Amino acid sequence: MFDTLASSVAFGVVLASVIAIAAMGFTVQFGLTNVLNLSYGGVMTIGGFVAYLATSHGISAWYGLALGAVAGAIVTLLLGRGVFRVYARRGAKVFEMMMVTLGLGLVIDYSLQAISRNNIYQFTVLQSAPIKWGPIILTPTQVIVIAIGAVIFVALEALLRLTKMGKALRAMAADAALARACGIRTGWVINFTWLLSGALCGLAGVVYIINTQSVGYSTGELFLPLVIAAAILGGAGSPTGAVLAALLMGIVTQIVAAYGGSLYSTAAGFGILVVVLLSRPSAVLTKQATDELAL
Amino acid sequence: MSAWSFYISTLVVYFAVDLMSGISLNLQYGYAGVVNLAYIIFQAVGAYVAAATALGPSTGPASFQHYIFGANLPFPVPLLLAGLAGGALSAVVGVFSLRRMRRDYQGAVLLIVTLIALQVVTADVGLFNGSNGLTGVPQPLASGLGLGPLAYQWTYAAWALVLCAGLYLVVRRLSRSAWGRALRAMRDQEDAATAIGLNITVLRLQVFVIGGVIAGLSGGVLVEYIGAWSPGAWGYAESFVIFTAIFVGGLGNYRGVVLGVMLVPIIFLELPRFLPQVGYPGLMDSLEWVVIGLVWMACLLFRPRGLLPERRLVANRDTSDLGALTGRPRLARVLGRTLP
Repeated sequence: MFDTLASSVAFGVVLASVIAIAAMGFTVQFGLTNVLNLSYGGVMTIGGFVAYLATSHGISAWYGLALGAVAGAIVTLLLGRGVFRVYARRGAKVFEMMMVTLGLGLVIDYSLQAISRNNIYQFTVLQSAPIKWGPIILTPTQVIVIAIGAVIFVALEALLRLTKMGKALRAMAADAALARACGIRTGWVINFTWLLSGALCGLAGVVYIINTQSVGYSTGELFLPLVIAAAILGGAGSPTGAVLAALLMGIVTQIVAAYGGSLYSTAAGFGILVVVLLSRPSAVLTKQATDELAL
Repeated sequence: MSAWSFYISTLVVYFAVDLMSGISLNLQYGYAGVVNLAYIIFQAVGAYVAAATALGPSTGPASFQHYIFGANLPFPVPLLLAGLAGGALSAVVGVFSLRRMRRDYQGAVLLIVTLIALQVVTADVGLFNGSNGLTGVPQPLASGLGLGPLAYQWTYAAWALVLCAGLYLVVRRLSRSAWGRALRAMRDQEDAATAIGLNITVLRLQVFVIGGVIAGLSGGVLVEYIGAWSPGAWGYAESFVIFTAIFVGGLGNYRGVVLGVMLVPIIFLELPRFLPQVGYPGLMDSLEWVVIGLVWMACLLFRPRGLLPERRLVANRDTSDLGALTGRPRLARVLGRTLP
C-alpha cells in the first residue's frame, strides 16, 4: 500500500518535472506578453524532433537537449516578431490572438505531420539499469529529468530575482506601459521573453520525449492541456506557482493511474482543470485581466 | 454518370451537415459571442448516440464492437436522442466553462475539453469501442422505402437538406426575436447588457445548449449516412474547419455562413481529390490542414469580419413595428419590451 503510494509519488514528480519545464516557459510568455499561445505545443514538438534528428545522427543526447532549446528559442522569436506582432499591430486583442495561435498551431502540427510522414519515432537515449531506493524504482533517465527540472527552476528564479533583465521582466509583467515610461527598453525585454520561453519550450519538448521515448507530430499538442492547466493554476507569470501546480497535477495523475487504472488518469487531469476553474476566480475573472497585448 | 451522381449526392449530405454546424456556431459565436471550440465533441456525442441506439444492444466485451446505450430503435428516435445527447453534454460542459472569465481562457478551456474527451473515448473501449469506433450503423429505412442505392442517396440528401432548412428557419426566428437581440446586446456590450437586467450566464448557457442540440443532430445525420464513427472523425482540428468556414464567410449573418460552408469544407476539402497526388500517400491530407490553418490566419489578418460581414443594423423607420427594431435601439427596446 505504502509502496505503491511512494512509487506513484516518485513517478508523479517525474511527470511534474516535465510539465513544470513547459509550464515555466508558458507562464513567463503568457505573463509578459498576454498571448495565450496554443501553438506552444507545436513548438515543443519541433524541439523534440530537432533532438531526435540530432541523436539519430550520432550527436550526444546532452547536445540534443541544447539543440532542442535553441530551436525552440529561434522558432518562438521568429513567431513572436514575424506573426504575433503583426496581428497585435493590426489591433488584435487577447482573444483574437488566441485564435491566431490556434491556426498557427494547426499549421505547425500538420507541417510536422507532412515532414514526419505521420510516423512515430522511437527515441531511446541514456538507457541503463534502474536505481532502487526503498520502494521507489526510477530509471537514470527519470532521475535526470527531475534534475533538469530542478536546475531550470532554480536558474529561472535566480534570473528573475537577481539580474537586471529579471527585474525588467518582472516590471513589464506588472505593468508594461509603466515599465516603458520608466525607461525599460520593452522591445528588448519582449525579444528576450520570446527567446527565454522558446528555449524552455524546446527543452521541455526534448525532456518530454526522453521520458516517453517516442516522438510524433502531435506529441506536444496532446501534452499542452496539462501545461496550460498548470500555468493557469499557478497564476500567469509565476514560475514558482507553475512548479507547485505541476507537482500537484503530476502526483495526482500518477496516484490515480496507480489506484484507479491508467484510464482515469486523463480524467483526473480533467478534474484538476475543473478545480482550476472553480478555485481560482481571481485568475480567470474578466474584471482584473487586461484586454491588451504587450508586444 | 452514376458515379458522379453518387458523389454529388454525398457532397450534398456533407454540405447539409456542415451547414447545420455553421448555423449552430454562427448562433453561438456570430450572434452571442460565445466561442465554442469544443463544438466537435457535441457533434461526436450525437453521432455516437445515434449509432449506438440504431445498432442494437451491445453483445458484450468479447464481441466485435462494444458500446453503451445499445438499442435497436426505429428511425427518427436515434436522431432525436442524438440531439438530446448533444444538448445534455453542452449543458454539462457549459455549466463550468461559461463562467465569467477572459475569453481567451474560455477558448483554451474548451479546446482542452475536446482533447481530453478524445483521449477518454479513445482509451475507454467500454464507452464507444475505443479507437476502432462504431461501424455498420444501419441506414434509416433502407429497406422500408424500397429504393435503389442511387435513389436512396438522393432521398437521404434531400432529407438532410430539409432538416437543415427547418433548423435554419427555427434559428433565424430565434436570432431575430427579442432573445436574439439580447444575444447581440450581450456580445457587443456585456456590461450594458447586464445593466439592463439580462442574465448573461443564463443566456450563454441557453445559446450553448441550443447549439449543442443542433450539433448532436448534425452528428446523427452524418453517422446515419456514413454508417461509422470513430475518434479519427472528430479530432480537435475538425471544429476548426467549421470555424474557418464561418470566419471566411462572415459572422452574424446567414448568407455568410452558406458562402463559408460552400467555400471551406466543400470546395476546399473536396477539390484536392481532383488534383494529382503529390508525394507519399497522406501528404495531401496533411497539407490540406496546413492550408486550412493558413486560410484561417490570413482571414483573421485581412478580413477579420469575413467576406460578407454582418450588416450594420439600423432601426427600422417604421416605428410602429417595434419588433423590427434592430441594431442599436434604445436599451429598453433591446428586450422587445419596456422595462419596469
